[in-house]
Amino acid sequence: MAVGESQVDSGTDAAGEDEEVEARVGWRYTVARIRKDTTARWGLYVVAFVLFVAIYAAVDSNLSRLTFGQFSDYTFAKLLPIFDHPTRIPPPGEGTQHMPPYFPLAEQPWNPLPAGGTLEHPLGTDPSGRDYFTRIVYGTQVSVFVGIVSTTIGLAGGTIVGAVAGYYGGRVDDALMRLVETVYAIPPLILIIVFTVFVGGANIWYAVLGVGIAFVPVFARIIRSRVLSIREMDYIEAARASGVKDRDVILRHVVPNSFAPVLVYATLQIGVTILIVAGLSFLGYGAQPPTPDWGQMLNTAHGYMHSNVWLSIWPGLAIMITIMGFNLFGDGLQDALDPRIED
Amino acid sequence: MSSEPLLRVENLKTQFFTETGTVRAVDGISFEVYEGEIVGLVGESGAGKSVASMSLLRLVESPGEIVDGEITYKGETIFGLEEGPDGDLRERDDVLSNEEIRTRIRGNEIAVIFQDPMESLNPVFTVGGQLREFIELNRGLSEDEARLEAVDMLREVGIPDPEKRYDEYPHQFSGGMRQRVLIAMALACEPSLIIADEPTTALDVTVEGQIIDLVDELQQKYGTSFIWVTHDLGVVAEICDRVNVMYLGEIVEQAPVDELFYDTKHPYTDALLDSIPRPDRTVEDLEPIEGVMPEAINPPSGCRFHPRCPDAREVCRRVHPENRRVAFAGDEPHRAACVKHDAFDVGYDESVPIDPEPELMADAGSASADGGEDRE
Amino acid sequence: MKLLKYALFRLLQAIPVLIGISIITFLLANLGPGDPVSLMLQGQEHDEELVRAIEQRYGLDKPLHERYVTYMAGLLQGDFGQSIYYQRPVSDLMMDRIGPTLLLVLSAYAFALVTAIPLGVVAANRRNEPTDHLSRIVALVGVSTPSFWIGIVLILIFAVKLGWLPSSGLVYPWRPPDAYRGIDGHLELFQQTIRHLLLPMIALGTLQMATIMRVERTQMIESLQGEYVKLARAYGVPERTILRKHAFQVAQLPIITIVGLNLSTALGGAVLTETVFNINGMGLLFVNAIQRNDYQLVMGVTIVLGTLFVIGVIITDISYAYVDPRVTYGESE
Repeated sequence: MAVGESQVDSGTDAAGEDEEVEARVGWRYTVARIRKDTTARWGLYVVAFVLFVAIYAAVDSNLSRLTFGQFSDYTFAKLLPIFDHPTRIPPPGEGTQHMPPYFPLAEQPWNPLPAGGTLEHPLGTDPSGRDYFTRIVYGTQVSVFVGIVSTTIGLAGGTIVGAVAGYYGGRVDDALMRLVETVYAIPPLILIIVFTVFVGGANIWYAVLGVGIAFVPVFARIIRSRVLSIREMDYIEAARASGVKDRDVILRHVVPNSFAPVLVYATLQIGVTILIVAGLSFLGYGAQPPTPDWGQMLNTAHGYMHSNVWLSIWPGLAIMITIMGFNLFGDGLQDALDPRIED
Repeated sequence: MSSEPLLRVENLKTQFFTETGTVRAVDGISFEVYEGEIVGLVGESGAGKSVASMSLLRLVESPGEIVDGEITYKGETIFGLEEGPDGDLRERDDVLSNEEIRTRIRGNEIAVIFQDPMESLNPVFTVGGQLREFIELNRGLSEDEARLEAVDMLREVGIPDPEKRYDEYPHQFSGGMRQRVLIAMALACEPSLIIADEPTTALDVTVEGQIIDLVDELQQKYGTSFIWVTHDLGVVAEICDRVNVMYLGEIVEQAPVDELFYDTKHPYTDALLDSIPRPDRTVEDLEPIEGVMPEAINPPSGCRFHPRCPDAREVCRRVHPENRRVAFAGDEPHRAACVKHDAFDVGYDESVPIDPEPELMADAGSASADGGEDRE
Repeated sequence: MKLLKYALFRLLQAIPVLIGISIITFLLANLGPGDPVSLMLQGQEHDEELVRAIEQRYGLDKPLHERYVTYMAGLLQGDFGQSIYYQRPVSDLMMDRIGPTLLLVLSAYAFALVTAIPLGVVAANRRNEPTDHLSRIVALVGVSTPSFWIGIVLILIFAVKLGWLPSSGLVYPWRPPDAYRGIDGHLELFQQTIRHLLLPMIALGTLQMATIMRVERTQMIESLQGEYVKLARAYGVPERTILRKHAFQVAQLPIITIVGLNLSTALGGAVLTETVFNINGMGLLFVNAIQRNDYQLVMGVTIVLGTLFVIGVIITDISYAYVDPRVTYGESE
């Protein structure tokens, strides 16, 4: 693991290089670089599109009626209760809270599945007769929301842990880092499921929290190594010497100065988070039915593989494109902010 | 000195084609290296010394390219152009192919010692292994013979206990020791010419002295010619027979070493000499060269040194002086590219003196001849 | 000898982490608001007496720390307790299931390394040429696609549409051929193992392939710009040897680290892959345990998977120390 860490703190070679990094992390500079970088630009387009769809789905209560001439059960007129909606038909194959996820081995004969391609149902309907396109569109919201919120939780937790560990050093550092290592050692998906089920009882909010906690170690390590390099700088020494409180030194000087590279990393991490959440939902521990969620839609579709292939394709494509957007954007951002890579 | 040079470089031009424009890193230099002599290639960082020396092996990295000139080595053509039937320049038929350059020239005819001994050795192979590989490749020896040769060579360059150190890795060697290994590498391939690209720049002064003494001694023993690339005129004085001073891709002065020091003909060389510490002068006498060297992407008009030149006159802005013979040192020519010499006759004496250009003065003082690392 | 000492040192270093894993797992499984007994009796009529009887049987009436000590004492003797649902020792269950998971994860890594390294090297060597673009697209898609969906798509194409490969289950090469109906001899057993393993291996291995390829590419680009490569060129070493030996060896070092650290994603991915392909490994066991609220089993599987990760990282650390001469043994970070 020693190697992994040394790769993270590379900006410490020379004071001159660090100054240069700082100078280049201006917003205007970044925007200019992103404009130039094709990867970042495309990433930005995709992310913007996905965000637009997510917000649109959240705001427009008439989405389905206006688009498809049919009123949907899912109206997101009220922004807040994002994950709870009245339902018309409990879909087969989707369990209630504590029921196991459903993997039917044989075909379910009772449900005729209309294929897509009609104006009314461009992507067809799901086994319960609900418009698939609308569900995919609403699914954006869950994925993006969960991705961003849990990454933020991980980032916040990681910042606190990393900053405290890095700033105080010594035993505090040792103890916190052992804890971080421990959490890191349990495969995230496993940790999140155990947390969600045993602590929260298969509720999406606990899943969000669990994902956040599982990614605290990742951010804690980056922040810590940044803090370690910043801690030794003159102005921090000066602040300390002039009697500024530790907490203020961390909050006002150390954290802001270590944030830029971490934000880039967070963008990439959103992709990872959405990936994990998709898996979580696929197993039945993400958003609960009837809320449309891509992973969970794939779970349902798994039982209809022989009758309608496309049910399994669309949600997967949606997941892939969304994550790809965040990855492209994050990659581009990284290139734009990294002065060492010149093209 | 024999009449036929070992290496002859004629009007060599190497350019880098970048997004921001064409960098004329080496812009028409000519020089010779005779058998058994050490030729200095001196200049500030960015003067094009390293690019010039890498061009000799046709090892210029993309986006760089040799665009003009002729390089002949022992009668073979390393690079040369001719005019094709359609009027375009094309490579001559007698130019060595890439494969021939690799197998017949690199290593076994012309070897290199790089600037940074820390980075030049591969960290994951043993020192001996790397040495042996190059010996095997360039001298066609068997593995066992190459190994014996490698150990001998390590001993020759003053590495104690070479049998044991043969199996050690680069990180177990100090900087000076690694540079000795690189010298051993160069000599072990038994080349006729060694290009030493700032071989002592990264070393401590005391170690630098040892390395220079070692090279001097071995050079006399093996009779190998050297091209010694450096920014340090002190080293040049100590080791070189003849010197080429480079400024912004051009050779501005060319003379036997004593001539250069005692009868300097170019203001830039003068300035370089004034900026190095010498035992006969106090530190207060040191005069850094005013300003910084401009970029080779858009060199100044006329004489490229004129914006920083204390002797600059109006004519220097207009007239670009080529390197011309301005004096004789015995039977050897002393060339300089400065219009103040009579050989040029462009009206220097009547021309108005000009002040050094202000924008280049912003950084004045920071650029002495010592430019630190050299990465063109 | 030095290496052995280093290995021992790393193992000792891992002990606190292993203890930490057991504590976290134990707390998560026992502290939550959903207490094991009511979860076990979910949906059933139950009275106080039944609850108390169950509590007594599983030692749930004792205070938490006491229960942890008992649990740990068991762990040290290889006793992971009794599975509530299967009514069998957790360790027995895991012994049956760990083989398929290791087979799956290791073959996924084999697939990833065999495809990613050559592609990464070629991409780095021919930068900004079609191969490079292709490899970057593959890498981007690879890191952006959920493994279980890749599995589903593979099943749709190769099992449902083309009918070439089986869509579920695994044939274990370590079992005698006559344990399977219709399999004749060891050769066929091996063939069947491969046929069954192919799709899940690709599904699980794609993410690893993508990450390894990215690292391989950047490392090779960096390595090819190294001074030692320039030196080798200047001494007439053929370009092919430089690529395959001089630049290559240096670039492989970070790959070793990546392989170790990625084990946690791979083990998590195994849970999903085993679910999609219905492979009876640790992952499916975990899913079943979670569904049945079999907290003993969940703890066991979690601790074992965490331990597998720790062991994996130690193994890669040791390999790194073995391969990279610059690592000085016995020194911590």
